[in-house]
Amino acid sequence: MWVVILFLGASLLLYCLLAGADFGAGILEVFMGRGKRRAQRTIIDRALGPVWEANHMWLILMVVILFTGFPAVYSRVSTNLHLPLTAMLLGIIARGCSFTFRHYDAVKGRSQRSYSLFFIYSSVWTPFCLGVVTGALVPGGIDPAATGYLEGYVRPWLRPFPLALGGFTVCLFAFLAAVYLIGESPAGAVRSGFARRAVVASAVAVAVGGLVFWAAEADGIDLAARFLASPAAAACVVGATFSLPVLWLALAREWGWIARILAGGQVALILAAWFAVQFPILVKLKNAPDLTFFNSHAPEATLYQLNLALTFGAALILPALYFLFRVFKSESPAPDAH
Amino acid sequence: MQDLLAARSQMAVSLGFHIVFASIGMAMPFLMAVSHYRWIRTGRPVYLDLTKAWSRGVAIFFATGAVSGTALSFELGLLWPRFMEHAGPIIGMPFSWEGTAFFLEAIAIGLFLYGWNRLSPWVHWGVGLLVGITGVLSGIFVVCANAWMNSPAGFDWVDGRALNIDPWRAMFNPGWKSQTLHMTLAAFEATGFAVGGLHALLLLRRPGSAFHREAFKIALLIGSVAALIQPLSGDRLAKGTAQRQPAKLAAMEALFRTESGAPLMIGGIPDVRERRVHYGLELPNLLSFLAQGDFRAEVKGLEEFPEADWPPVAVVHGAFQVMVGAGSALAALGALFLFLSARRSPLLLHRRFLLAAALATPLGFLALEAGWTVTEVGRQPWIIYGIMRTRDAVTPMPGLVYPFLAFTSVYVFLAAVVAWLMHRHIRAADREYQSSRPEAIAAGPGSGRHGASHA
Repeated sequence: MWVVILFLGASLLLYCLLAGADFGAGILEVFMGRGKRRAQRTIIDRALGPVWEANHMWLILMVVILFTGFPAVYSRVSTNLHLPLTAMLLGIIARGCSFTFRHYDAVKGRSQRSYSLFFIYSSVWTPFCLGVVTGALVPGGIDPAATGYLEGYVRPWLRPFPLALGGFTVCLFAFLAAVYLIGESPAGAVRSGFARRAVVASAVAVAVGGLVFWAAEADGIDLAARFLASPAAAACVVGATFSLPVLWLALAREWGWIARILAGGQVALILAAWFAVQFPILVKLKNAPDLTFFNSHAPEATLYQLNLALTFGAALILPALYFLFRVFKSESPAPDAH
Repeated sequence: MQDLLAARSQMAVSLGFHIVFASIGMAMPFLMAVSHYRWIRTGRPVYLDLTKAWSRGVAIFFATGAVSGTALSFELGLLWPRFMEHAGPIIGMPFSWEGTAFFLEAIAIGLFLYGWNRLSPWVHWGVGLLVGITGVLSGIFVVCANAWMNSPAGFDWVDGRALNIDPWRAMFNPGWKSQTLHMTLAAFEATGFAVGGLHALLLLRRPGSAFHREAFKIALLIGSVAALIQPLSGDRLAKGTAQRQPAKLAAMEALFRTESGAPLMIGGIPDVRERRVHYGLELPNLLSFLAQGDFRAEVKGLEEFPEADWPPVAVVHGAFQVMVGAGSALAALGALFLFLSARRSPLLLHRRFLLAAALATPLGFLALEAGWTVTEVGRQPWIIYGIMRTRDAVTPMPGLVYPFLAFTSVYVFLAAVVAWLMHRHIRAADREYQSSRPEAIAAGPGSGRHGASHA
């Protein structure tokens, strides 16, 4: 089972880092000045084009691990969080399609503006919903016995903590994208623009992160106390906070890879802290025992096969992914063969 | 609208939408691989143009298929949480393999679409082929899971719980071979004839275009071979259905009474209340032969089952007629195509033949959708055949009509946009490749030889 948990955590982390940066690129398009818009858009197009579909697969992997390995969790979550999940799906559909249509429409005309509009707003909307869904697992607002529509299907997520976490996810993804895109752009005004946005986004993320703690208190979760009670979580938070000045220095100097590693590390620390605080609870329930890794997992035979599939799959996927990123993310520009 | 009906409708719309894109994603890479191979081998620019033009279309279809597939993996839980809670651990294995294959496919398609100037020609070709292989594999894994819903295996159902789960036996359930074969062939058949038909239509407008001629030949070659094998795989699937899901087979044939020497019913309107079929054409003893391999064999009619366990007979029977009718037309057209190609007959590009191919453009997908209707509606009222009823699996959330309407309008809108994009894409490709490649239009003796020897 530990292997399965490891894969679940790794998929979540990689989805946040890789797909997060892809979503963030769309969020950044909201804040683009008219002047450099075209150059920035070209960079985003080139940076996302070959990889966004692969990055998106980590989400599917997570879903498959959940419904195979922890079916009770999947079933409970998709019942009571039907609405935000549906909202997220519509966002995923709109984002993927509009991005592809924008790139592949044979006629580059007025329709480009509509694709961009869909792309930008779904890039904000989807991470927000993702944050809301994740946040709704924490406060214990999900009541399996609820009968009313509001009690059963709206109240579990329409509350301070999930909404704040949705906002935080948006900021975090925008921050990741700005850092990621520094390394994707040639030196110059556009590159410094992304570096500046990364600084702003990280500052906003810290502020909204504080808001999340406040929302948690408002929601009756003693989040701060729980963070302090867990040494691992506290260490993660301290690590994430103290690496911020180094990150800002890296951004000011436009050190692409160092900034990426630091930013990725911070997101990993935030997720690790959350994991440490939550473990082993997956979903906190109202009027019922919480769903944990230990009471909601599938029978041994299933976990064994899932293990096998994941390990074998990783052995195939990771080298292929490495090849994909090496081909498209190496610094050298494309040679013109034909 | 009733919640259960709304949930079933949303699932039907989502599957019916996704399956078109998934099938194109399975088959198109192979069409491209043929054209790409010929480009590397012969160096004729028409094959490069064709590969590139096709790949731009595929990019649009693949992305739409990927996101609608993501939506489906969530919708299974959103709409049928009770089903997934029990089925997840049993059929999670094919889904996790599917995840792996789909992941590799997404990596390969990124490499293929953006790799023109970055990969060596044969690596690039291999990556393109990998898109197709992983696409077919993910299709097979998903259909394995569906086959399990039709012929559940690999667990014991005790007091509403699954015990002694054996994921391996669940995945390779008795129905997996015939169902995956039938679906894979259907994807190639539908895509081949749809693409070939569109190029035939364009050939009618621009006779002599090498671009459309080569496209037409490659697409129809693949579609025709699939269309000719398909009846055999269908026969195998029907024999299995007769054994494992006799009620479904009876509904497909609108056979109300158990009979020895049962007739094959063609067309007709089933009347469930009177338990007979109006205006149908009966071919005596043929159903017994098709279902059991013996003209005198007994075939179970719907009367053997309580009426509460009947699938909607008219829908299943009607869809089955549509599938077999469209499939037969394509098989005939495919046979003619292969015959003319083998003889290198000029009739292959005759106006009448092109017109027939153009008219057949939607038939493959029509058959494919009808076939899925037979499988899915024919399994009703069960979600896991004989184990769990669909109405017991649906989410308790009320107001399901709203998500249904939301998804339906999104998919209708998307379908319209994709159709419009394809129209623009085809027009642009048509213009681009007519003007810039004069050497490809004037098919000289050299290029003609290549074309003929491969066709």
